[in-house]
Amino acid sequence: MTRRQAITGVAIANGLGARSEAVFARAFAGEDGFRPASDFFAFPFETQLGIVEAPDERGGDFPACAGTRLARVAFASSRQLRPAAAEAARRWGAERVACVFASSTGGLEQSERALAPHPSLVAASYGGFTYADHSADAACAALADDLGARGPRVTVSTACSSGLRALASAVRFIEQGLVDAAVVGSADSLCRTTVFGFHSLGLLAPVATRPFAQDRCGITLAEGSAYVVIERADDDSAGRALGWLAGVGASSDAHHATSPHPDGAGAERAMRDATGRAGVDGAALDAVFAHATGTRQNDATEGAALLRVCGPSVPVTATKSLTGHTLGSSGLTGLVLAVEALRRQEIPPSLRASPVDPDLGLKVVEAPTAARLENILVNAFGFGGSNASAVVSIHHGGA
Amino acid sequence: MTAIPIQILGASFFATRHASADDALAGAPREHTAPAFPLLVGRARRFTSLVTQLHMEVLGALPRLGAEQRWPAVFATCHGEIHTAEVLIADLAASGMVSSAQFAHSVHNTPSGLYSIATGNPAPTTTVTGENAVAAGWLEAALVARESRQPVVLSIADEPVPAVFGACDEAGGVAAAFLVAAGDGAGDAGDASDPGDAVAARLVIGPAAAPPERTALLLARAASAAARRAADDIALGSLGAGSALRLQLDPARVSS
Repeated sequence: MTRRQAITGVAIANGLGARSEAVFARAFAGEDGFRPASDFFAFPFETQLGIVEAPDERGGDFPACAGTRLARVAFASSRQLRPAAAEAARRWGAERVACVFASSTGGLEQSERALAPHPSLVAASYGGFTYADHSADAACAALADDLGARGPRVTVSTACSSGLRALASAVRFIEQGLVDAAVVGSADSLCRTTVFGFHSLGLLAPVATRPFAQDRCGITLAEGSAYVVIERADDDSAGRALGWLAGVGASSDAHHATSPHPDGAGAERAMRDATGRAGVDGAALDAVFAHATGTRQNDATEGAALLRVCGPSVPVTATKSLTGHTLGSSGLTGLVLAVEALRRQEIPPSLRASPVDPDLGLKVVEAPTAARLENILVNAFGFGGSNASAVVSIHHGGA
Repeated sequence: MTAIPIQILGASFFATRHASADDALAGAPREHTAPAFPLLVGRARRFTSLVTQLHMEVLGALPRLGAEQRWPAVFATCHGEIHTAEVLIADLAASGMVSSAQFAHSVHNTPSGLYSIATGNPAPTTTVTGENAVAAGWLEAALVARESRQPVVLSIADEPVPAVFGACDEAGGVAAAFLVAAGDGAGDAGDASDPGDAVAARLVIGPAAAPPERTALLLARAASAAARRAADDIALGSLGAGSALRLQLDPARVSS
């Protein structure tokens, strides 16, 4: 019996656009969604950011907490998930649909606005700051209510692997019979702490990020949200499937609070866990949507792990060159783009990767490339040595 | 109503304002006592918040959890690194900059990362957060135990929310850790299992009833009952719209 889950809905928002269609169109055309950081705040250093142009939805059909930047980013795309979530609730019953949400920074931007105000930032203009604005689970609860998911509700926070770790939790819920479907989402908004923090660690790129390039120089931060609806496999969900979730893997580096293991051992374990669960040999993957933050160390260690898992022939792309690094939402951002890649049979490019670092030994995709795509590996690694990988497939996997 | 059988193979408890789980249940206070957290040594101890120290304290005291174990772990926290967030925001307000060391310790999974580094354990960890973190943590641990067919370390901790956030739900820091295995043959407790002292229990998902007790009391009740092998029925809190999770300890039903 298959253990794969049908992916029956996707939604995404980031600097490329606030609607999935816009994000997909620009990403697969090879455009990035970056703007000068000064559009967000007057930082005393050069960098670029991916900023979501999401309307303020208060007063519309969005939850009361939509006044925070996190909620605006989170709900920018979630309305597009309503039909798929409603169909899952109709098929299985709303109590059999879980909601698993992920965020790394939560509502920190709103706390900054209230507790560290700055003349250049508009003060919070609604009902005053409350502690609920700081946490991520208010957004999780609002999302569950909005999408009619009345099953178990969990908020996951494992830094930049959060989205894929949330996906792993949702898969467990389904595989162990607690529910039959799940809305899995992630969102992180920009905030000053994050930008200053990555700058203080020397990880921020002064120009647009160049993952896998020989002269790569760091991360371009971004905000964004990404969602999937996953359902237990049966004939009905198969008929609505956009793709299949074949396996989610995880590991810990057990090495350093913020730096990856130097030989990529933890990343390799997560990838092998995911491919093993998917029943797909690493060398047989059709593409890898790498974590690829654009830092010298991440790309080198992930590249070394990829060579051991997949060999040098599997095409590898860095979607953060398009969207920027959306932190806790980066894993699901990569996964939603991978599902769209399966639909289009096309790999989005790693922008600005030329000349590719020859020491990596990877087959980096530098332009939009048509390809026969059946199985794609997606990676997300985070602070604390938290690693997660997932395989999405066009195949049901057999009944 | 859904019931998930589990075994509790060990428990530990620490509170800054109570000397033991039983004292916490009895409301017997003590002077604020900081955790010693010997699990972390040297530079790893620097910049750690109270919530991280609390996690390390109860993990270091958890029976059967030796350095050689490679079990997965689930961390649960309602508020996470909330004091570190306060420090970062204060730095931002004062100087317009943030400390790299504080920033590196600001994510909710800081304790799980330090735990895996301190023990050299490469097994997966996850961190659940929010107001239902206690219930979500127990549920996650039970499901990981069933999936992985090995014991799972569950560590739950919270520090008081700083006053600047306008919310304060605990008088002090509190933490508990549990070693959880699948029950009724659904998993494998492996060499951690001793049928003579495993406490049979189950997690029950049912309709929401009364609000759960404060986190300190929840954790104290669970840790105390597990240590004394006493029956108990503990409301762990909401899981979502209209449903809640209960932990029912039933030592008479010791699984083999």
